[in-house]
Order: sequence, then structure tokens, then C-alpha cells
Amino acid sequence: MDCYTANWNPLGDSAFYRKYELYSMDWDLKEELRDCLVAAAPYGGPIGLQSAPSCWTVLCQDRVAHILLAVGPDLYLLDHAACSAVTPPGLAPGVSSFLQMAVSFTYRHLALFTDTGYIWMGTASLKEKLCEFNCNIRAPPKQMVWCSRPRSKERAVVVAWERRLMVVGDAPESIQFVLDEDSYLVPELDGVRIFSRSTHEFLHEVPAASEEIFKIASMAPGALLLEAQKEYEKESQKADEYLREIQELGQLTQAVQQCIEAAGHEHQPDMQKSLLRAASFGKCFLDRFPPDSFVHMCQDLRVLNAVRDYHIGIPLTYSQYKQLTIQVLLDRLVLRRLYPLAIQICEYLRLPEVQGVSRILAHWACYKVQQKDVSDEDVARAINQKLGDTPGVSYSDIAARAYGCGRTELAIKLLEYEPRSGEQVPLLLKMKRSKLALSKAIESGDTDLVFTVLLHLKNELNRGDFFMTLRNQPMALSLYRQFCKHQELETLKDLYNQDDNHQELGSFHIRASYAAEERIEGRVAALQTAADAFYKAKNEFAAKATEDQMRLLRLQRRLEDELGGQFLDLSLHDTVTTLILGGHNKRAEQLARDFRIPDKRLWWLKLTALADLEDWEELEKFSKSKKSPIGYLPFVEICMKQHNKYEAKKYASRVGPEQKVKALLLVGDVAQAADVAIEHRNEAELSLVLSHCTGATDGATADKIQRARAQAQKK
Amino acid sequence: MAFPHRPDAPELPDFSMLKRLARDQLIYLLEQLPGKKDLFIEADLMSPLDRIANVSILKQHEVDKLYKVENKPALSSNEQLCFLVRPRIKNMRYIASLVNADKLAGRTRKYKVIFSPQKFYACEMVLEEEGIYGDVSCDEWAFSLLPLDVDLLSMELPEFFRDYFLEGDQRWINTVAQALHLLSTLYGPFPNCYGIGRCAKMAYELWRNLEEEEDGETKGRRPEIGHIFLLDRGISVSDVDFVTALCSQVVYEGLVDDTFRIKCGSVDFGPEVTSSDKSLKVLLNAEDKVFNEIRNEHFSNVFGFLSQKARNLQAQYDRRRGMDIKQMKNFVSQELKGLKQEHRLLSLHIGACESIMKKKTKQDFQELIKTEHALLEGFNIRESTSYIEEHIDRQVSPIESLRLMCLLSITENGLIPKDYRSLKTQYLQSYGPEHLLTFSNLRRAGLLTEQAPGDTLTAVESKVSKLVTDKAAGKITDAFSSLAKRSNFRAISKKLNLIPRVDGEYDLKVPRDMAYVFGGAYVPLSCRIIEQVLERRSWQGLDEVVRLLNCSDFAFTDMTKEDKASSESLRLILVVFLGGCTFSEISALRFLGREKGYRFIFLTTAVTNSARLMEAMSEVKA
Repeated sequence: MDCYTANWNPLGDSAFYRKYELYSMDWDLKEELRDCLVAAAPYGGPIGLQSAPSCWTVLCQDRVAHILLAVGPDLYLLDHAACSAVTPPGLAPGVSSFLQMAVSFTYRHLALFTDTGYIWMGTASLKEKLCEFNCNIRAPPKQMVWCSRPRSKERAVVVAWERRLMVVGDAPESIQFVLDEDSYLVPELDGVRIFSRSTHEFLHEVPAASEEIFKIASMAPGALLLEAQKEYEKESQKADEYLREIQELGQLTQAVQQCIEAAGHEHQPDMQKSLLRAASFGKCFLDRFPPDSFVHMCQDLRVLNAVRDYHIGIPLTYSQYKQLTIQVLLDRLVLRRLYPLAIQICEYLRLPEVQGVSRILAHWACYKVQQKDVSDEDVARAINQKLGDTPGVSYSDIAARAYGCGRTELAIKLLEYEPRSGEQVPLLLKMKRSKLALSKAIESGDTDLVFTVLLHLKNELNRGDFFMTLRNQPMALSLYRQFCKHQELETLKDLYNQDDNHQELGSFHIRASYAAEERIEGRVAALQTAADAFYKAKNEFAAKATEDQMRLLRLQRRLEDELGGQFLDLSLHDTVTTLILGGHNKRAEQLARDFRIPDKRLWWLKLTALADLEDWEELEKFSKSKKSPIGYLPFVEICMKQHNKYEAKKYASRVGPEQKVKALLLVGDVAQAADVAIEHRNEAELSLVLSHCTGATDGATADKIQRARAQAQKK
Repeated sequence: MAFPHRPDAPELPDFSMLKRLARDQLIYLLEQLPGKKDLFIEADLMSPLDRIANVSILKQHEVDKLYKVENKPALSSNEQLCFLVRPRIKNMRYIASLVNADKLAGRTRKYKVIFSPQKFYACEMVLEEEGIYGDVSCDEWAFSLLPLDVDLLSMELPEFFRDYFLEGDQRWINTVAQALHLLSTLYGPFPNCYGIGRCAKMAYELWRNLEEEEDGETKGRRPEIGHIFLLDRGISVSDVDFVTALCSQVVYEGLVDDTFRIKCGSVDFGPEVTSSDKSLKVLLNAEDKVFNEIRNEHFSNVFGFLSQKARNLQAQYDRRRGMDIKQMKNFVSQELKGLKQEHRLLSLHIGACESIMKKKTKQDFQELIKTEHALLEGFNIRESTSYIEEHIDRQVSPIESLRLMCLLSITENGLIPKDYRSLKTQYLQSYGPEHLLTFSNLRRAGLLTEQAPGDTLTAVESKVSKLVTDKAAGKITDAFSSLAKRSNFRAISKKLNLIPRVDGEYDLKVPRDMAYVFGGAYVPLSCRIIEQVLERRSWQGLDEVVRLLNCSDFAFTDMTKEDKASSESLRLILVVFLGGCTFSEISALRFLGREKGYRFIFLTTAVTNSARLMEAMSEVKA
């Protein structure tokens, strides 16, 4: 036990580390461990060993990535689940190791270089051999890449050793180049780029069009056209001969197309020019040659020549450019901060502003905001000057970038230029400028945006501050109130409290007394709170009315207890009416006195109720109790409504002179009505009576009125 | 007698496209939830939906059963539930209760909420608070414009009025802007824009923003409609414009609306109209030939017209007496159906007229109209006040009483304090104390206020009263308060000649001006403003009016070059009423159009009338 700490090693004052043996082991391997690839799993998991592959590459088939691995003479195909041994078809025997492998740009083809100096070329699926070649060089090549061209049937592989470059394909011979310097190969879509310390070259299969035109003694239409144009410039009649020759074969269109296409594949502007000149010359003799291809080629070449310039240094070929698209090329220029060139290209190609100039300017602005040594003012101004109101520029994106660089103030300044409030708000929130965000949201008129900010503020601020913020923003306040009314009643109350808005607080409690409270005590208590609030709001009318309602509620409750029936929540008027209809006249009168119901109302009320009861005796007694404050015409009307002409007539006689005629007409006494009207000498009344005269029965009356009228006119 | 359009009147654009668009979008949304589903529809959306897609169309797209959204547990046993609702919080809570009940019962179904015309963030918030945001899928049915008639588009958003004018909630303005944007994409840009009112201006600006964001789309289009005019229901802070909506309507269509309530372009005529034991739902629009001829007529002409029509019809029927077989065959196959149809419509409208007459005589309509006219002209205020008092005491109708009180308040620039108190007390006694809240709403909206003599006036007053005896001071105070009473309404109606001076009887058969829609007593303010601005093609010279309306900051014009607009399109005017318009206003503008050779198209958030206005302001016990 004494030696227990023997393998403890101190580290610092308080910690020890130790290392002890798990197993003694011996591997059943020929190689040393350092020649192997080792993979081990944690948690005491298994350990895997594999001798290091001599070479490997990634294959891509059906959107799945595989790894092709060469170990000694064997090839393995690995995917995410399995490892299987494969054999390329038609592989020459005697291979003991693979030294290099290369996949083509399109992932369709595979080339294998073996230690016997043998090159196998086939499909990447390893199902088919295309060709093979024995170069008899056993030294491992430094690099091997495919050199092919889209839509071309030719396949070739470029192999590089230290000082030697070899192009091999489906041919018994190979092409050999000497390399003067250390070189590196870059496979491209349509060829191979080779660069060294002092040169940059391109190796590719000569395109069909160029071949046709420039092949020695070519009689292709393009070649003839080029020749014709050259002769034409020399003012030689041969030009005409060549041209005739092409035209006789009916191949002029083809010739022009060939020249245009070949121009695209030329690197030297001079050569491009002469080909295009030839095309242009040929076009003159064609009736209907669509100009697009020519124009586009000119434009494309101009762009290409610009970016190929050594100052820029993007050596794109025409095919690559077409594959890449102008958008990507512009992106590359932007990434290299070559903004002016990018903009010139956009303008030259007349790209829509949103895709072109605006986008580049926006990128420029995003770069500009990172210039820490320039003041916020200056940056913002510079950006606005350049960008102005260019469509498609999002100031909020630029501001977001500025904020990302920690320049909040600059971001806010930039946001000022953003015309769409919807874009300003989220960033302002992110920058914790919530109040500014709120006013911007309100400006936008988009209530959803305002609401978003409100909820943000609600979480960010304490309740008091939140309410204070709302207070200064009526539009937001009413929006939030609306929400609270439906969803958070308590918050609504707090809001009113905060504002000392006693009027609304009173209304709030009144509403509560109807909606929230069931018991009468609770309702009265709510009303009391309301009344107090109304007093504070100096709204005495509402306070008094509320107190009256409290009294009425209590009283109605008592009535229900004592008399039965339904009284709660009736209006005062209806309460009294119900009492009268129930025959509780005393109580009704008491109530009228208690609540100081005006006489007029009481008369109307009693009149209606008694008539409803058809208690004609009581009605008459009532009518005689004192002089009616509403006159007696209503009595007549109400009796007639109940179809009691007999009673009606009683009151008709008591109707005052102004309404007498009306009353008499109501009870159907046309003749007497006429008399009264004539007596009044009132034209309006006379016509009223006349309109009530029905032909047969009232003929005499009508005559009488007419006579009276005539007399009145005479006077 | 019915005014035919002038022969040179421009053709109206075809608005049925809007219906097709809405229908296609709805079908698309329904198809997003493949398979059988039950559809829950909010009550308010039922009538508009009915105009867009009937039940058989819904069934074609696998809607199984239809339910109304109401506060009851759903009986649906379907595995997929679809809700078609307005973006309202109470609907969200209803849906949440359904979903949560399912969850408790361990049931999983698919839920889809379709908001019309758009969803609001607040609604999604509630769904989240209720814990069901992840369980439902949300969609928008951007159905905001329903063509009710050839010249009338309605957004069917009656709550716009209360939300904006009472609660200050601006959320619908964006919806309006979207609708205008849709119109300009479908029918070309509007070369001339005019507007007045705070809300109109906001809507206009939002709309402009939308157009700018998506510029290019409408630029090349030829405008089909030459002018657009936006105005608020309550144009000014003092809300004098409410007068129009508060007056009793006497033009046939308005009267039918006031009496029977036209709902989404159709009306339910009860047994008293149909003279059978069934109610009948009738579409009221230009396709109803009889209705089309009387809709804009003053009610006093309608009976005469209908009886004339009946006689003509009889004569046409009678023609068959002298016919031989061949002519008879022709008659039966070609004319009879039309005649029968006309006959049916005729008897319906005669029934409606009778029913209206009956109701109106019972309420002593003449007295009512007389009082209204007195209020408009500002005389016999005392008498009118006691008329209103009696109206309240007799419990004639809570809505009517309220309407008259508001009319009095607006025309008089507020009630004098004594009346303000006593009328309110009477009202509470008659119709229940909960209306205390109604009054608070009305005051906030400026519809029913108390006169506050201006500060300067009170100052002068107190100085003067020191100089004279008490009794005289009382008189002076009266004089001053009547001076203060020279209300905005009076000033504006004088300035714009809203109350035409008539010598003798106003001939309602051959109206001279738009006042005929109120029996010759009043030209609707909104219509007069439109007339004046169109005449000037700007607000120039109307500064005083704009100032009186308190809208100096909210009156705008925007003219673009007119070279693209045809002369035909320049005589088409789209009038946008934010907060609702009445049939009287529509009739008045149709009249103006006939006089001047224009044609008006109406876009309103909803068709309104005095009752709807008052109900929107009322607080009723739940």
C-alpha cells in the first residue's frame, strides 16, 4: 500500500495525475502503427486499424457521396453505411498499388494511375472502361486531372510529374510538355489551368468552331467567311469569290454563327475582333439573321476582357462565364470590393437596378459601415448621397450590418433613410431602441407592427414605465386597451388607474356590475366603486345616477322578496309599470316619490299601464285626480288604441282647444271636428278635417267646410 | 318618373370579378385541408359568404357540416375542423376552448383557422396564450370587397365604425388600404384622388405606400375609374357629418333599410309584406327591375309609381284578350314569364310600402319628420326638446330617442347643461341605467355633448353681468349661450347651403337638388362636399369649409397626368366612405350623377343607418 501513490504525478499544489496500464497487447500487423489509420470509439469502445490508403477520392453518384479508397491492389467503395471492394472492369493485371486517382469535373469519369505506369480511364460508377494508356513511368505523378469540355466526346487526362506534363486519352500517343517550374493543375469545366511561379496557362481541347475555322486548309464555311473578310479588307475581288462559294452551298448563316462562336473561345482581343468582323461582314449578306447572338457575344466578350485584365485577374473562359452567370460574377467582383467595375458592368449590360446597381451599392454600403475610422455622420451621409432613393436598396439591411459592427448610432442614422417602417422596427427592437421603434411603428399605420412592439415593451419594461410609454402614444394606448378589454381586464383597470382616468374607471366598474358580478351585494359594491370614481372625475351626474341605480337595485331585490315576480334589472319606468300592472298602486306611488319621477312621465306611465289593464274606472279616476300635465289627447289616443271609443269620447271633450280637432277626428266625430275647425278659422285644421271626410257619409260636412272656406276668403 | 341615366352616362366596370377572386381564394384555402371537414362560420360572415359561395360549392370542396360559431360546445365529430372567422379575440377563445376540450379528452384533430379579411397579431397572441398556437394552422381569406350591386361595394365591416370612431383603434385602416390597392390593380390607377378626414388621409397614405412597394404593376394600365374620393363618416372632430346618418330616411331604399334592415344586399320580408304565412328573402339590387326604378325615389312618389306600374302590367296582361293562337303562343313563351316576375316583385314592393306606411303612421311619422326638420333649421328648439322628452317618457324606442338626442346635440353644438342632464336622467329612467355607459360613449365620440360656452364668452359675460342687474344678466347669459349655439353645423350648412331655401312647396316629384332625399330639408354634407370638390377639381375656395370642419390637415388632392384616362373614365367616380354610408347618401349621389353626367361607384366599410349607428354606440347588458 505504500507504493500506491507511486505513479501519482503532482501538477501544481493540489492536483495529481496518474497513468496505468489497461492491457498488455500485441497487434497482428505487418505495418507499424504509424503506417495505419486508427479509429477508436469513446466509452471503452472498439478500435479499428487499417493500413493507410495509397490514394483516395470522393465520388458523387445519384446525389450520394462515396469515397473510393485504394489500399494496395484493392479498391474499396465507402458510403455512410457500408464498405465494399470493387474492381474496375478491364483493369490490366499486375497492379500492386494505385498511386493516383482523379474524378472528372462533372463527376462522371474516373482515372486511376497504377504503380505499373498504367492509366485506367472509365466511368465513375466503375462499370465501364473508356480507354487505357501505358505511359511506362512508374514514378508517382504529382497530380492527375481530367481535361474535358462540355458536350465534347473527347476524354483526356493530364498527368503532371515534377518536370513533365502528359496529356493522354483514347489514342496510342500522348502529348508531352516540359515543365520549367513547379506547377499546379486546376481542373476546370472546359479544360485545365496550369500555374507556376511565373506563368498562368490554360490547356483545353480546341473547340469545334475554332477547329473548323482555323484548321489548315479548312473549307468550312466559317473559315471561308474569315478569308473573305480578310480579302475584302485588302479590297481584293477574292472576297466575292469566297462569299459566292459559301452562298452557293447555302451555308452563310452557319458561317456567321461559326465565327461568332469561335470569337467567344478566343483569348486575344485581336483575334476576337477579326472573327467578329468576319461575322459582321457575313451578316450584311443575310436577310434575316437575328442579331441577338452577335450582340450578346460582343457584350459578353467585353465583360470577359474586362475581368481578364491582369488588374482584376479573373481568367474566365466563355463557357465558364456562361455557366457561372453574370450574377455570380458580379458577386465575386463585389467580394473583391471591385464595386466600380461591377457597377460599370451592370450599367453596360443594362441590368435591372434591383438586381444590378442597387444590389452592388447596398454591398458597398455594407462595406462602408465597417470603416471604423470614419465618423457616423460622414458614413451615413456618404451612403445616402450614393444610394439616394435607388429602388431595391434596403437601408435596414445596411443598418443591420452597421449594428453588427457595433455601430448602433450609425445604424439608427441609416434607418432614418429607410422608407418602410415595417423594416425599421425589428432592427430598432433588436438594438433596444424600443421607444423609437414604437413611434416608427405608429407612423407606419400597421397596427400589427405596433402590437409587436407593445408586447416587446411589456416584457422589457416594468409595468409603470410601460404604462408611461403608452400614455404618450394615444394610438398605441387605444390599441392596447382594446386588447385588454377582451383579454386582460385587470390590466385595463390598472391602465385607467395609472392615468387617473376616473371617468373610464367608473365606466369599468359599471360594466363589471353587469358582467362580472352575480350577487346583488357584489353588484352594489361595484356600483359604489364606480360612483366614487365618478365623483373623483367630477362627473356628478354619473355619480348620482349610479347611486340611484344602487338604490333601485336594492329596492328591486326587496320587491322580488316581498311580492315575487321579476324586478331586477328593470328600468325605473318599467319597475313602476310592473308595480301598477300588479295592482300595487301604493308602492308604485311611493317609488315615484322616492325617485322623484317627473309628473309628466308618471302620467304617461300610469295612463299606459291602466289602459293595458283596461281598468277604465281607475283611469277615469286618475284623469280626474288633477289637471293632466300631458293634456287629454293622449287619453283619447290610448283608448282608441284599445278600441274603446266610448271611453275615448269621454276624454275628447276634455282636450284643450289646440288639439280638439285632432281628438274629435280620432274618435271619428268628423262633423263636430268640422264645427270646431270652422270656429277656429284655422286653415290647416280645415284641410285636416277635409282629408278625413269620406265620400258618402260626410258629404254634408265637406260642403260645410268648403262654404266656411269660401266665406273666410271673402272676408 | 324614375330617372333614366343620361344616354352618355359612362359604363360601370364589371365588379363581379371581385366575387370570382374571393371564391377562388376560398376554394384554394379549403383545399389546403384535404378531405372531409366541418366548417364553423362566424354569424357575421354568413351572409357575405352566401353571396360568394353557396352551400353546394362548399360541399364540392368536401365541407361536410356547417356550424355557426357561437358560445356552445361543438357537436362535430369530424376529424378536421375549419373555422371561418373575423379576427376577433372572442373567436380565438372559442376556438381555444374547443381545442383544449379535445386535448383533455385525448382527442387529436386537425384545426384550421381562416381569418377574413386578414389576421391580426393580437389574435395569434391569444392563441399562443391559450396554448394552442401549435395545434392550429392559420390562413387569411383576403375577402374585403363584396359587390352588393353594380355600383356598390361593401367591406361588410360594421365594426370599423365603433373601432375607429369610438375606440380609436386603427387596425382596419390597413385593410381599407389593401382593398384600394386591389381595386387599383384590377381596374387601373386612379388619376385623381381627393379626400377629407383623418382616417381617409391615413388610409390614403397607407395605400400609396403599398403602391410604391409594388410599383410597376399598375403603371402601364389605363385607368378605368377617373376619380377616387375618400371620406370619413365623422369627417370632423365636431362630427357634423353625423347629421346625415342620424336623419330619418325617406327615400325608398333607405326607408326599407330603416324599416326592415337590409342585410348584405338582401332583406327578409315578413308575412305582413308577403301577404302569406312565410317570410321571404329578397335580393335588392339593380336586377330587380321594379325596385331599381323606385329605390331612389322619395317615398311619397312610390305609391303612385307602383299603382301606375300595376296598371301598365294589367294592360299588358289584357293584351292577350284579342290575340289569335299564334300570338298567344308567342306571348306565353316570351313575355308571360317576365310579366309574372314583374308581377311578383310589384306585389312584394306594394306589400312593403303598406307595411312601412302602417308602421310610420303608428309612430306619427309626420311629427317626427317635422321635429327633425326643425332641428336641422334650428328653430323651435324648446318644442323639439320637449318632443324628445315626451318620446323618452313614452318609451317609444330606445334607439330612436337616442338618435333624436344626438341630432339635437350636433345641430346645436351640444345640449345646454340643463337639458343635457334632464334628458339623460329621463332616458336612464325609461330605458335602464346601463345606458350611462352609452352616454359616456356618445360623449367620447362627440355625438352627444354638453354645451360649454367658450372661455372668452364666459369672461365677457361675467364682466357684463357685473354691470347690470341680476335679471338682465340672466337674459344676457341666454343671449350669449345662443351666440355660442351658432354651432359649427349652422355655419357649415350656411356656407354650403345645405338647407335650401324653398319658396312654396318642394316638388318631390321633380327634385331640384340632392335635398330631396330628406324631403327637401337638407343636402347631405358628404354629398355636397363631393359635388363642390368635383366641380373645382380641388379644395381650392373651400378653405373656410375645411376650417369649419376642423380638417385643415386632413384634406388632400392628388392629381396625376390625365393623358391616359379616357373621357369616359373621367366621369366615373369612386367614393369611399370610411365608417359607413347610408342609402340616402347613395341616392343623393346617384341623383347628382344623373344631373352632371357622372356615375358614382360606392365603396363603404358597411351600409349604415341611424339605428346601426346608435346601436354601435350603445352598451347593452351581456
